[in-house]
Amino acid sequence: MKRPSPECVKRSTAYSRANDLRLTLSPEQHRALRKRYRRRKTLTAYAFLAPNLLAFLAFLLIPVVWLFISTFRTGGVLNAAEFVGLDNWRETFADPLATTSIRNTLIYSLMAIPAVFIIAMVLALALRTISRGSAPIRVALYLPTLQPAVVAAFIFVFVLHPDFGVINYAIRAFGGDPINFLGDTSLALPTIAGIEVWRGTGFWTMMFLAGLTALPSELYQAAEIDGAGAIRRFWRLTLPLLRPTFYFAVIFATIVNLQLFDSVFALTDGGPVNSTISVSLYIYRSLFLFGDIGFGATLSFLLVVTVLLLTGLQTFLLRDRK
Amino acid sequence: MSTRNRKPQRSPRCRWHILGVIFALALVAVACSDSSTVTDATTTETTSSGTEDGSSMTTDQPSDSADDVATPESAPELAGTIGFIKGPHSAMEVEFNEQIIADFNAQIAPNVDVEFSTYDWPVHVAELTTLFASGSPPDVQYLVDLIYPSFAEQGALHDMTDLVNDPEWADERANISDFAWDLAEQQGGTWGVPVLGAVYNIFINETLLEEAGLLDSWDDSYESMLAAAEALTTDEVYGFAARTSAADFAWWDWYPYIHNAGGDVLSEDWSECGLVGQDVVDAMQFLIDIHTAGVSPAIGSLDNQGLFDLFAAGRVAILHHETPNIVSLIDNPPDFKWTVAAAPPGPQGHTVMGNFGILSIAEASNNKDAAWEFIKHWASAPQVGRFAEQVNLQVVRTDIINDLFADNPAMRTVQSDLVPRVQGLQPHPQILEALQAAWPIAEDAFRGNLNGEEAIAGMCEAINGVLAS
Repeated sequence: MKRPSPECVKRSTAYSRANDLRLTLSPEQHRALRKRYRRRKTLTAYAFLAPNLLAFLAFLLIPVVWLFISTFRTGGVLNAAEFVGLDNWRETFADPLATTSIRNTLIYSLMAIPAVFIIAMVLALALRTISRGSAPIRVALYLPTLQPAVVAAFIFVFVLHPDFGVINYAIRAFGGDPINFLGDTSLALPTIAGIEVWRGTGFWTMMFLAGLTALPSELYQAAEIDGAGAIRRFWRLTLPLLRPTFYFAVIFATIVNLQLFDSVFALTDGGPVNSTISVSLYIYRSLFLFGDIGFGATLSFLLVVTVLLLTGLQTFLLRDRK
Repeated sequence: MSTRNRKPQRSPRCRWHILGVIFALALVAVACSDSSTVTDATTTETTSSGTEDGSSMTTDQPSDSADDVATPESAPELAGTIGFIKGPHSAMEVEFNEQIIADFNAQIAPNVDVEFSTYDWPVHVAELTTLFASGSPPDVQYLVDLIYPSFAEQGALHDMTDLVNDPEWADERANISDFAWDLAEQQGGTWGVPVLGAVYNIFINETLLEEAGLLDSWDDSYESMLAAAEALTTDEVYGFAARTSAADFAWWDWYPYIHNAGGDVLSEDWSECGLVGQDVVDAMQFLIDIHTAGVSPAIGSLDNQGLFDLFAAGRVAILHHETPNIVSLIDNPPDFKWTVAAAPPGPQGHTVMGNFGILSIAEASNNKDAAWEFIKHWASAPQVGRFAEQVNLQVVRTDIINDLFADNPAMRTVQSDLVPRVQGLQPHPQILEALQAAWPIAEDAFRGNLNGEEAIAGMCEAINGVLAS
């Protein structure tokens, strides 16, 4: 009879030891070991998450809690804080300028977000059909997004200025009267929305183009064979399939646009006649110009809550329905 | 199992790395302890000012110069570092202040290091708020009358009442105009030493007014100014222009008409709106009329600088603006004669609006003695006089008025004719907020959407709302 090799003996011994070990463990010991294993796994995950969680705690959660506490106080930055109950809330809801700033911000968002999405979608669909040479067009489209808001604002001073702006120069050349884009109360906010649409179009075009590229081509081929036209394919295939992209886009755009500040600060400072004052600009003024910490905190907290509510509403409306 | 529990063995190389790190840390600790120890009191220590705009500078004064230039006023016992922050009034702001600081070190306090930095005017309130909130603001600040009361109310500024009433400084104090002290004193304290001011004057195109035969009569009354503006307006020229937006601080151009009508933003006791009386309503109506008479550029079409550029191009006959712009007309002479003037007299006065700056000490300053010596030096006749001439601002010292701007007739006119008529703003802690709240209503009225009575009522409602908050 052939003797087993030393390697085989070694393996067999290790197997029987492991087997013995398994057999000797009671169900309680098993559970305890499993629990310990799971706890270790969870702790490892938390250890990796810790830096991010700490940053979240330090730069978001604690400030928001502090903000909420500040809504019931006055002062607290240069002087001692004083508890004032609901005074700041009453003042905020009674302040006509707070209402104006909220209305302006919402109107601006309602103008800017749909406009930038429609333009970006049209451009993305057009770019998808270009098989060659689309790279320079994509770069050109994306360039405005790379401009800081303040730089974009000053570019538009030279475009929109009633005296020497390019657009008014052209209007005058055709015998028209110059348009006071940023000085007219009814035009200033749409003009700022237009500037932000110009800045955002490149970003959203690339976003939608990425979404479109990822769509399965077989579905389109099948739809085409079934006789669906381009418009039908867009409504019945493209839009539903792009739901995840839209979900992200709507939420992200809402958050960004509700925080409108830079272009208003650089171009109109809230004027003319408060027609462009945004919530963020009013918060800045309250906190830094007037030292009204409680009022500014209340307005800031309202903005945070509004963004959260709108995000929740959008999540509900755009959720996947079976 | 056994491998898992085994302690990791450090390689020899790893041990060397640890030793290296410990050695490096020890070196850093030794270096830090060395740099924080001042061993020689006569050698000033150079530290970084930590300013955001990079315009800071530190002057080191060699120890041997102190004895050479010591004067009876010198304070060689003072030592340490003080910070000084100011908004720029010139592109050469750092150089001009370097000169003042060098003189301070040479004549007064050789052992005090002054770190100069600048803030940006458009965001200076936010910048200063952040600095005060940090707990270690610059020791000395140049603050304008529009914003310092709020900082004083919140306890950020040191009450300088005792310092400015020091009998040894009484002569110097007496040289500063009473109206300027009134602007620096409020809430029962004195929050700084007034040093400089900017007057809001009218620039007139003398050539155009002469040609129209209106040079001697345009400013007799509000009516004559409106008539002159109408007569001077052509396809190429606007008869009148003034700022209209809060972003350009348009209220400076509005103030004289209200002051001349006996009104003000706040009542005498600062408890409520002071825009009361028929004269105030009439003044507001006049301003609405002149803005809607078709004699000005479209409201909101040009900013502050745009309006001035239009005047410099000969396209505005009567322009409300600021005296610091006189220098640009001197440096780039237009092809017409120009001069400066005050707004026409009103039913209750003939005032000029001015906006003034004070030098304050931060309550958090650890070196208030040195800060006070520096302020006295900065506010002294030779220093503030030279600086005012360098940047074309007005001084509030009565003893040097006649010595300044010898080669600048426009500035001499401002200093001798306009400054004595100044009625400044009311340094209430909420004055900026009140003006910001009320101004959009004035702007709306200038667009023809409200009459004088409605505008004043709306402005008062906004001002009272701010005061109530």
